[in-house]
Amino acid sequence: MRIEIKREGGPAYFPGLARPRAVDLTSLPPEQAEALRHSVQAARFFELPPVVGTPAPGAADARRFTLTVEEEGRRHTVQFIEPVEEPRLHDLLEQVTKAERAQRRGARPGTPG
Amino acid sequence: MFHPTRHRHSIHCILPPYLARSIAQNGSSEQRERALRTLSTDSTFRALRLAGSRTTPSTLVTRPRAMMVESALHRTIYDLRNSEAFPGTPVRFEGQAATEDIAVTEAYDGLGDTFNFFWEIFGRNSIDGDGMPLQAFVHYGKNYDNAFWDGRRMVFGDGDGDLFNRFTICPDIIAHELAHGVTEDEGPLWYFRQAGALNESMSDVFGSLVRQMKLQQKADAADWLIGKGLFTGNVEGVALRSMKNPGTAFDDDVLGKDPQPGHMKDYVRTWEDNGGVHINSGIPNRAFYLVASQLGGYAWERAGRIWYDAIRDSHIKPDMGFLDFARITMMSAMRLYGAGEEADAVRDAWEQVGIRVPKPGIGIPSFVGAVTRPSTQAGRAPRA
Ligand SMILES: [Zn+2]
Repeated sequence: MRIEIKREGGPAYFPGLARPRAVDLTSLPPEQAEALRHSVQAARFFELPPVVGTPAPGAADARRFTLTVEEEGRRHTVQFIEPVEEPRLHDLLEQVTKAERAQRRGARPGTPG
Repeated sequence: MFHPTRHRHSIHCILPPYLARSIAQNGSSEQRERALRTLSTDSTFRALRLAGSRTTPSTLVTRPRAMMVESALHRTIYDLRNSEAFPGTPVRFEGQAATEDIAVTEAYDGLGDTFNFFWEIFGRNSIDGDGMPLQAFVHYGKNYDNAFWDGRRMVFGDGDGDLFNRFTICPDIIAHELAHGVTEDEGPLWYFRQAGALNESMSDVFGSLVRQMKLQQKADAADWLIGKGLFTGNVEGVALRSMKNPGTAFDDDVLGKDPQPGHMKDYVRTWEDNGGVHINSGIPNRAFYLVASQLGGYAWERAGRIWYDAIRDSHIKPDMGFLDFARITMMSAMRLYGAGEEADAVRDAWEQVGIRVPKPGIGIPSFVGAVTRPSTQAGRAPRA
C-alpha cells in the first residue's frame, strides 16, 4: 500500500506541505503501519467520493488534505475539507498525519525523534 | 453568518459610541473639535451608504438609541481537552481571574485586545458591530496545527510541537481570525482568488494593528510580521508572513519558502489555496504597509481608518479584485481627509505594488463594467 498526503489551508500557504508527501509504510513501526492499513480499510477509502466535507459559510483558514492511496493496482484520491467529523475518516486522517509527521521528524537532521 | 440587510451598520453611522463618550468625557476644545470633525466625516459617509444601500431611510432614523450604545465585552473560553467535540468545558468567563492554563489566558487576552482595538479605534461594538459575545475554544484536537474561524467562533490548536507552537501565542493571529468575522459581516468577500486574498489581507492588516496597538508601536517601529513566535526552533523562519517584505518570512526544508509576492508582476495564478488567498494577500498587505509608513505615526490612526472605512463601503462586492478595492481605499481616503497626503499615500502605495488607480472623477465612480477583473469567476476552488 502506498499513501500520499498533501496539505493546504491553515494559517498560511506552505509550499513544502502542499507538495504531495509519500508515507512509507515500511519505515513505520509495524503496529503503526498495521493501524494505518486498518484505517484505510475501515474508512472504505476506495468507495469515498472525490471530496469529503464542505467549509462552513464564512469560515476561513480551514485546512484541507488530499489523500491518495495505491493498492493492488488501484489508485484513488480524496480531498478532505475540515472539519471532518465522521469518526472513521477522522481516524484515517489522524493516522496519516501522525505517520507523516513521525517520518518528517526522523528525516530532519539534528532533530531528536 | 451572512445578513442580507445592513441596517445594523447605521447604529454606528448615527454616532460612533467612542465619539459620544469622547465628547462627554473630554472638555478640551481641541478634542471637541476633533470629535466634531469625525462626526462630519461620518455624516458624509452615512449619506453615501444610504445612497447605495438597500436600507430604507426610516431604518436609519428610527434607531436613535444607538447613541447610548455601551461597549459589551463578553468573553468565554472553552477547553476542548484535546478533543474535537464542541462545546467542551467553559473554563473562564468575562471578568474571572486568570487560570493556570497559558492557552486560556492568551485566548482571553487576545479576544480582549481585539475587541478593545475595534471599539477604541473604530467605535465598533464586537465582531458584528452589535455586541456579539466572543467565544474561543482552546486545546482543539491532538497536535492540531491550526487556528481558524468557523463562521461564528474561534478555534485554537496546541500545535504539533515540531513545526508550530500553540496558536494562541500570537495576539495578531487571534485578531486575524476575529477579523475574518468582521469581514464576513461587512463584505462579505468570497474566500477565493483576489477577493479571498483581500479577505486574508484585511485579517493581516487588523491582526498587525491589534499587535501594534498592544505594543504602542508606531509604523516605523513595528516589524509588520504576522505570526511571529508561532514556529518552533526547528523551523528556519521568523513568522508566517511579512507585510513589509512579502516572501521573506520563512525558508525551511519542510515548510518550503514563503511564497508571497509583493507586486502584481509576481502575482501567483494557482488552483491551490483557494486560488492563492494566503499567497497573493502579500500584495495588498504591502500596499497597506506602504500607506502606513508613508503617513508615519500610529498605523491605526489614518491608514487603519482608511482601510476600515473601505471594507464597510457599500461598493464592496463579494468577488471584487485588487483594483476595485484600491479604488475604494482611494475614495475612503478622499472622504475622510480630502485630497491631501493621505489620498496621495494610498495612490502611491498601490502604484508601488503594480496597481494603478485612475484619478477619481467627480462623484462616485461607477464600478459596473469599469474595471477588468480577472477574478470574477464565481464559486469555490475546483478540486486540485
Ligand atoms: Zn485567515
